[in-house]
Amino acid sequence: MLINNGFNEDKIQSPLRYIWSIFKSKSIAVVAMWLVILLIFAAIFAPHFVPHSPLAQNSDKMLLPPYWVDGGDIDHILGTDDLGRDTLSRVFHGLQFTFGGAILITFIVAIIGMVIGASAALTKGIKASILHHLLDALLAIPSLLLALILITIFGPSYYNCLIAISLSLLPQFIRASYLAIEQELGKQYIIALQLDGATNLRLFRYGILPNILEPTITVINRLFTMAIIEIATLGFLGFGAQLPQTELGSLIASSMELIYLSPWLVIFPGLAIFLVIVIVNVFAEGLRHAVIEGEE
Amino acid sequence: MQPLLNVVNLFKSFKQVSGLFTSRDRIAFGPVNFTLEKAQTLAVVGESGSGKSALVRTIAGLLKANSGDIYIKGKNISSLSSQERCLSVRMIFQDPSSSLNPKMTVGKILNAPLELNTDLNAEQRHQQILDTLKLVGLLPDYLAFFPNMLSSVQKHQVAIARAMILNPDIIIADEILAMLDISLRFKIINLLLKIQKEKEISYIFVAHNMHLVRHMSDHIIVLHHGKIIEKGTTEKICHSPQHEQTKYLLVSHQPDYRK
Repeated sequence: MLINNGFNEDKIQSPLRYIWSIFKSKSIAVVAMWLVILLIFAAIFAPHFVPHSPLAQNSDKMLLPPYWVDGGDIDHILGTDDLGRDTLSRVFHGLQFTFGGAILITFIVAIIGMVIGASAALTKGIKASILHHLLDALLAIPSLLLALILITIFGPSYYNCLIAISLSLLPQFIRASYLAIEQELGKQYIIALQLDGATNLRLFRYGILPNILEPTITVINRLFTMAIIEIATLGFLGFGAQLPQTELGSLIASSMELIYLSPWLVIFPGLAIFLVIVIVNVFAEGLRHAVIEGEE
Repeated sequence: MQPLLNVVNLFKSFKQVSGLFTSRDRIAFGPVNFTLEKAQTLAVVGESGSGKSALVRTIAGLLKANSGDIYIKGKNISSLSSQERCLSVRMIFQDPSSSLNPKMTVGKILNAPLELNTDLNAEQRHQQILDTLKLVGLLPDYLAFFPNMLSSVQKHQVAIARAMILNPDIIIADEILAMLDISLRFKIINLLLKIQKEKEISYIFVAHNMHLVRHMSDHIIVLHHGKIIEKGTTEKICHSPQHEQTKYLLVSHQPDYRK
């Protein structure tokens, strides 16, 4: 054996490990990754650590500003709304609905879309035409409009809004994964694998999937961003989460008439949406760059 | 004695869209007839666009012929299962840096055809892989390497190993030497010739360079616009070319490295 194991640097890393080692060197992306993990934990365990119930009203402390402004109360760090409900608790619960919902949508749409896109790309004839040309027609309608149409059919509620957004984002994802796989199918190593008699499943698992990481990350990132914006938009318009549910978009909508009296009520949920999108995008972009560098 | 490979009236055309609803047939090649014997090398030459790549790809099973038959050891190729076909005809692609999956180790790349086409167990497969690596002159160390860690010659060696691993009767090489520089080209050629001597494999070679063809092949087919304009032994064609096109090919490939 000629491999020199005297130095750790000589170890041959698998592609995923190599990408991980590149990713680790990008400090901003690593910070974003930890923040994403933190956000996920915050969304899951929000009811357990927030100081107040998001629905607990307190008529003594109405419309308090954040504690660092004059007249603030340390008991309500981000202040309270017109019914004396704690903003911090409401924002964290809102995170659970908005961020958690977006992750759920991303997960489901990515799996279903990848399966449909792959089967459309790997089969030929009528099945492939139906799978991807039929869905192409849906691409002509903006996804938010599509979601609104679906909501009017289903009736406004938080779960219906998740279903509607999933269905409206699905055609885009199918299209993107179809294109990525189609492009990959022309490569010679795929043809060589096909000549070896590989089944479509094996072809997809070993030949295609490891080589479409970069477009997949890009499209999943876009999917997530659109999902979070659409959940918030539908909530804001009143088609998504209904009143006792503290979704970030509906939090903004319900505080709109108080915006001159207490602008904090609109700022904090808005800031939360903004931060979540920025953090996830920085993380995904770092990951994408690591994958690109790893492939060179 | 029947020939190893017998191609009878093989014909292929592509559909070419010419108008909104009309399409024309553009002839890729054919009808062509030729045979190939065991442990012989057949070279397919011709100018670009003469249908030589389409011809060998049809024999390899990448394209479907419109009409005509291919017989391997007397059996029609359409009656063979894909496994039997893999075990008798293998192809080496033009550019190994794009025909080896960048996300798989050399070991996995070589394992795939064995796993799919034979019923050897893991240990026998590993032994077969080691034997094949030795045949193409690579150390077992390379099994853990990824293709992008190899030099271009080593990639070629891996590609040859992948074609050789099932011990096929015929190996099709589609312009594999075009990308290499002179000295490495000869290394690969000598490797292929050594393997041929050892394993009695037949090659079908697509090439541009007439001098290499002369060195390697026993028979030559000259294609022009999809038709065979000349075929015969290498000696005959190189010394007394009959057709205008063959003469052009011979003249245009003066070895520039001797200047």
